[in-house]
Amino acid sequence: MTSPEYAFASLLRQLERHSVLSAEDRQSLLALPYRLRRLDLGSYLVREGDEPTHCSVLISGYAFRQKLTGAGARQILAVCLPGDAVDLQNIFLDVSDHSVQLLTRCDVADVPREALQELALTRPAIGTAIIAFTLVEASILREWVVNVGRRDARARVAHILCEFAVRLEARELATGEGFELPMTQEQLADATGLTSVHVNRVLKSLETEGLISRRRRYIQFTDWRALQNIGDFSRRYLHMADHDVITQTY
Amino acid sequence: MNEQHPLGPLVRRWSRHSSLTPSDRDAIIALPHVRKTFAKDAYMVREGQRTHECSLLLRGFAYRQKLLSNGSRQIISIHIPTEFVDLQNGILGVADHSVQSLDRCEAAIIPRDALLEIAARRPALRMAMWIDTLIDASIFREWVVNVGRRDARTRVAHLLCELVVRLEKIGMGRDGMVDFPLTQEQLADCTGLTAVHTNRTLQSLRKDGLIQLNARSLTVLDWERMREVADFDELYLHQEI
Repeated sequence: MTSPEYAFASLLRQLERHSVLSAEDRQSLLALPYRLRRLDLGSYLVREGDEPTHCSVLISGYAFRQKLTGAGARQILAVCLPGDAVDLQNIFLDVSDHSVQLLTRCDVADVPREALQELALTRPAIGTAIIAFTLVEASILREWVVNVGRRDARARVAHILCEFAVRLEARELATGEGFELPMTQEQLADATGLTSVHVNRVLKSLETEGLISRRRRYIQFTDWRALQNIGDFSRRYLHMADHDVITQTY
Repeated sequence: MNEQHPLGPLVRRWSRHSSLTPSDRDAIIALPHVRKTFAKDAYMVREGQRTHECSLLLRGFAYRQKLLSNGSRQIISIHIPTEFVDLQNGILGVADHSVQSLDRCEAAIIPRDALLEIAARRPALRMAMWIDTLIDASIFREWVVNVGRRDARTRVAHLLCELVVRLEKIGMGRDGMVDFPLTQEQLADCTGLTAVHTNRTLQSLRKDGLIQLNARSLTVLDWERMREVADFDELYLHQEI
């Protein structure tokens, strides 16, 4: 269970990854007003078509972005981790173009939209960091287009497991050995454009081949390098390296 | 005078995103830039390249793509004039994908420091730049849905709708007809299909009287039905702003 302090500190670290913030910038981010809520699994933080009044920071638990097609099929677009601001995009876009739903029971901090607008407009370094942060999200989405567009089922599932592991580790929410996957096989299927039967088969084959081992939802990496190869996984698109920091202040 | 200036279209687009003062507009026009022409199929940026420049497309079409280790290609977006094709590569420092021209095109190459500087000094421009990146992200989300959960016919129809609506928005459509720069192979790489499958799908859209597609131009003949076939709702393009 993580605390509001952890979540906002984590959000701050994510922003600082891309921009140099002053002590005042940091203070004003940490001083954002918020209201805490505890929500059950399956609750919506925002629905497609909503006109949001606040932006939610995930304090504990996991959420996912999704869209429904006209035919009723669901596509999961991203998994949000503790410390993520899940609808930062709605600070300046008036209508939400997708929904965010909770994967687990969550604590969230709702920050009023106006407070974030003011922060982004009056603090250039934070504004720039938020732009860079959005660009990284877009980069991850491009990789997802590639994943569902041109990889086979095995590579798709391996890729998403690798991505989740690396993101969790960067937030110090998991060690390199494995993690508790907060998704059902059906949700994994919706994230990879597959059926849940197919996902189940792929997970079994990855296990049989000694790449992962599973205890309930805990996934352990028994051969991390081979799993990355199968998933065609390279972490460049996550932009976690030092050269991605904008070091100059403007 | 801004009408003729190469960066005039950027002024117009950012004015839609945020309310710019005359001095904001002047700051855009004053951005240092070099005009560069690219032959058809040229690389504008290569994956892995370190770059500190951003390219604003002035003329022609471009696309972003990634190559997989198995040699297949996924196209991840199509770009039309007045759009930045690689704001992210300039700002994040290392290109996480490649950008190629679809036909002969011209771009204004702007140093990222100059862009970051006007963004830092001018809140309205910062907001406009951010909205650009947000709309890009929204389009990528829709593409994930398209390749992940729509059938072949819907995917192809959706992509065609998107292109027409975006081109019309910048005044490049004439009575529902737009320039269409993609080969069937490229269309297949946009939609995660094979070229053969894409060809069959286009035939069926033609046969049903939904589109007319020649070598270089596309017309949607029946928008109402086409929207339905394509499962197309333009909310994700955020064009009202």
